[in-house]
Amino acid sequence: MKVLYSRITGAIKAKPKIESLCDDLTLIGIEVDEIKSFQGDKIIDFDLTPNRGDCFSVKGLARDYCAFKNKKFSSVTKTSFKGETKFSKKIKLLAREGCSAYSTVSISNLKLKKKFPGYIKKTLKAAGIQSIHPLVDIINFVMLESGQPMHVFDQDKIKGDVEVRFAKTKEQIKILGEKNLKLTKDCLVIADEKEPIAFAGISGGLNHSVSKKTQNFMIESAFFDPSIIKGKARRYGFQTDASQRFERGVDFNLHEDALKEALSIIQEIYHADISNIETIKNRYFPKKKLINISLDDINLKLGTDLRENTIKSILNRLEIKLIKKNKNNFTFEVPSHRFDLSIKEDLIEEIARIVGYDNLPQIKNEPIAQHYEKSDYDFINEIKTFMTNKGFNEVINYSFLDREALENLEIENKSISLKNPLNNSLSTLRTSLLPSLATNLEFNINRGQNFLSIFEIGKSFSNDTHVEDLNLAGLIYDDEKFKNWNTNQNYDFYYLKGILENLFAEFRIEKIFWKKSQNDLLHPYASADIYLKNKIIGSVGSINPRFIKLLGLNKAFLYFEIKIESLPRNDLGKLLAPSIYPISQRDFSFEIDNKVSYEQIENCIHISSKNFLIGTKIFDVYDGKNISDGKKSIAFRVSWGSNKKTLSEEEINKEANLIISGIQKKLGAILR
Amino acid sequence: MDLDALKANLKKDFQEIVSQAELNQLKVKYLGKKGQITELSKNIKNLPSKERPTFGKKIGELRSLCEDLLNSVQEKIEVQIINESLEKERIDVTLPGSFKSQGKLHPLTVTTKKITDFFSSKGYLIEDGPEIESDYYNFDALNIPKDHPARDMHDTFYLDNGNLLRTHTSPVQIRSIEKRGAPLKIICPGKVYRSDADKTHTPMFHQIEGLVISENVNFGHLKDEIMTFIDFFFGPDTKVRFRPSYFPFTEPSAEVDIMDKKSKNWLEIMGCGLVHPNVIDMAGLNSKKFSGFAFGMGIERMAKLSYEIEDMRSLFSNDIKFLSQ
Repeated sequence: MKVLYSRITGAIKAKPKIESLCDDLTLIGIEVDEIKSFQGDKIIDFDLTPNRGDCFSVKGLARDYCAFKNKKFSSVTKTSFKGETKFSKKIKLLAREGCSAYSTVSISNLKLKKKFPGYIKKTLKAAGIQSIHPLVDIINFVMLESGQPMHVFDQDKIKGDVEVRFAKTKEQIKILGEKNLKLTKDCLVIADEKEPIAFAGISGGLNHSVSKKTQNFMIESAFFDPSIIKGKARRYGFQTDASQRFERGVDFNLHEDALKEALSIIQEIYHADISNIETIKNRYFPKKKLINISLDDINLKLGTDLRENTIKSILNRLEIKLIKKNKNNFTFEVPSHRFDLSIKEDLIEEIARIVGYDNLPQIKNEPIAQHYEKSDYDFINEIKTFMTNKGFNEVINYSFLDREALENLEIENKSISLKNPLNNSLSTLRTSLLPSLATNLEFNINRGQNFLSIFEIGKSFSNDTHVEDLNLAGLIYDDEKFKNWNTNQNYDFYYLKGILENLFAEFRIEKIFWKKSQNDLLHPYASADIYLKNKIIGSVGSINPRFIKLLGLNKAFLYFEIKIESLPRNDLGKLLAPSIYPISQRDFSFEIDNKVSYEQIENCIHISSKNFLIGTKIFDVYDGKNISDGKKSIAFRVSWGSNKKTLSEEEINKEANLIISGIQKKLGAILR
Repeated sequence: MDLDALKANLKKDFQEIVSQAELNQLKVKYLGKKGQITELSKNIKNLPSKERPTFGKKIGELRSLCEDLLNSVQEKIEVQIINESLEKERIDVTLPGSFKSQGKLHPLTVTTKKITDFFSSKGYLIEDGPEIESDYYNFDALNIPKDHPARDMHDTFYLDNGNLLRTHTSPVQIRSIEKRGAPLKIICPGKVYRSDADKTHTPMFHQIEGLVISENVNFGHLKDEIMTFIDFFFGPDTKVRFRPSYFPFTEPSAEVDIMDKKSKNWLEIMGCGLVHPNVIDMAGLNSKKFSGFAFGMGIERMAKLSYEIEDMRSLFSNDIKFLSQ
């Protein structure tokens, strides 16, 4: 809300420096966004919180300021207005509490008495309100001053009497700004005999608005209940000065006084025939709210030791009146402009505001004993640290991206879209982290990088039983022509697999299996799906070459993505003492069919040698010279040991022979 | 031969030795089967029995002198051999080491960790919840009913499946109370979404929110927690002010500002307040028994202040030159 500095100083009848005025207002919760110079004056732009509808005017701001500074403030400029003619239309209030008070007046024969005052135009301009018609300008000026929105109709366009009611089925209204709105039954309207003439409390109807040709005017000043106005304008995608004020709550005792103030300004400037003010109220007209509170309630919540007199006087400054008292229990009456005060806590905040938050005590907390539990967050951070130690930089990408990015990779199935995206490039929630990381790669290649290893921990989303998955994804790209003189790291499938094996070992995750990948994003013969027991948790490998160009790249990258929420959290339990007896080892080399996997060989070893086996370590895989076509040579070292004794030569020979005959028989291998 | 002359020769011989071969020759010369000392000791049996002990003793002394000399020269030669071979292994220590890339955590992760370290050391549990939320958890349960003007403060992204992207981490408060009951102390970092984009806003950003629910929690406790945190994060001489604000889920509500040490401007860093009784009741606790405080801050903002980042969007550009600093 933009307000002229001079209007505020006028209302508080004092002239504090603008900085100190703004500081004081900030300290009572009225935040200043910006101060700008304007026609020898200053515009202060306030960032009002939605609870403080009462501050949505010059007088509202001044009232709160004076309460804080403990200065006298007179809110209403009482004017003794008397109409000359009789208001001729009948007003009916048919919307129960939706509109419980309605004041109106007719004006005709408008003739300028003196020059239209510049201060009104300046005030409107400062507030960003367009000048439309002198009468509209005057009521808008009074709205800025008092907080009461009013509306001027072209009375000759109103057919018959006026009623305030809810919209009928299929009723429409064209509002100012040419917008045609299809109203629903919970929309409040002002209507004549034929049709709605205004969207009550929000906007006038275009067909009944004033123009230069208008001869007879009708001004409305009413109390619309905030609960009825709330959210309605937003539903149709707009806001008005009136809707913003009414949905926060406009003083229910203000409508007639504000109208009088407007009329007295009109009379000052114009010769005019003005009718009496017709005010109708129904039985739903609100009463002032009462709040019960005790001295303990206040002091327990604030940690203070405030006395009855202090509290009474603070609340009195805010026009919150003590009306009943029983020992330390009080009943306070809330003024008609404070819609935000309804429970004890609200009054406690008022007291705190005036005392000043910085003057409230600081009190050491009573500790709450809670059992320490390692959380997912700790687990995630440990993984992050692990990844950085493996040379990966952490990236963080938006969860949404262009749907096309998913379509290009054929992973748009079951994706979730935003109804109101900022733009197309942020329209759909990602179903995988791959497009994000690929974009990071392209971005960095374009900035001269030819090596990249990055990772991200973030969610992927899909319209599935499991809507959100927390994933760890990593990417390695290596296009470095000139490597460091002493480094010859080969970044291939096995490099990335090794990192993941390290990761699983680090977090004591067992029962991990690797199978040829079914993931279409990856190379069909050089990538793996990763299983935890029998559940797939991710994939690793080289990007499928058919996507390289689509991603704006010239060369493949290595990638993995695994779901980390499903990983077991295995804390280190008991530490085992190592065996004191020596370990025995034997090396083997076989020539074997190329299609036999290492996994088959390893399984065969485990089945063949059941006693004392500790493990195998593969140290060479070779095909080519001296090896028959379609065969490979594979060499490994097997270790045995016992924690009860040193194994004898015969025992080891027996196990070694079992392995040799097992592999020869079951896998058709030849010992080399 | 005269024993004294032999001794003199022995010493002299050993002084001139430079190689292993010469040493081996000397060993044969004195201690070999026909060595001079060996020969002398064979002579003992030819001496009168009275002289034998004295002579024997002298021969013994001579033998151990010879062995000592052999050992010490042997050691010298070995050291000399090692030194010669070491020199052949000379390297240029100024060449760079083998390359091993070392990654960095994202500045937002580092900032979040700094904040969670403080609160988890004070016994807060770290919690998170879903990023796709229902209207109920994001708004209703936090005392923001439908059509409440406060919903305007949250430029919400709605999804085609009828849910929304959470606009704050506050829904985690409700989920945690429902799950764990009270008393409770939690801190919830996470991603949040609002449809806003400029130099100081990104449509996705990170918040961290704390909640304490117990009996007789008051505003003074909240102030103490915040003040201690600010001392930890920004340094003990940071100027702080609390000012009234509005959040539907707290009452009273406050914004916390710190004074920028250079510009002397107040910078808004977090919102906080005493938990609104409606929120406590809606989460299934009794607001007559339990009270609490909550606070929340934007992690980007904290990172911006820590690292003097100009443009918030650089945190999401993922430029490796920025991230690997």
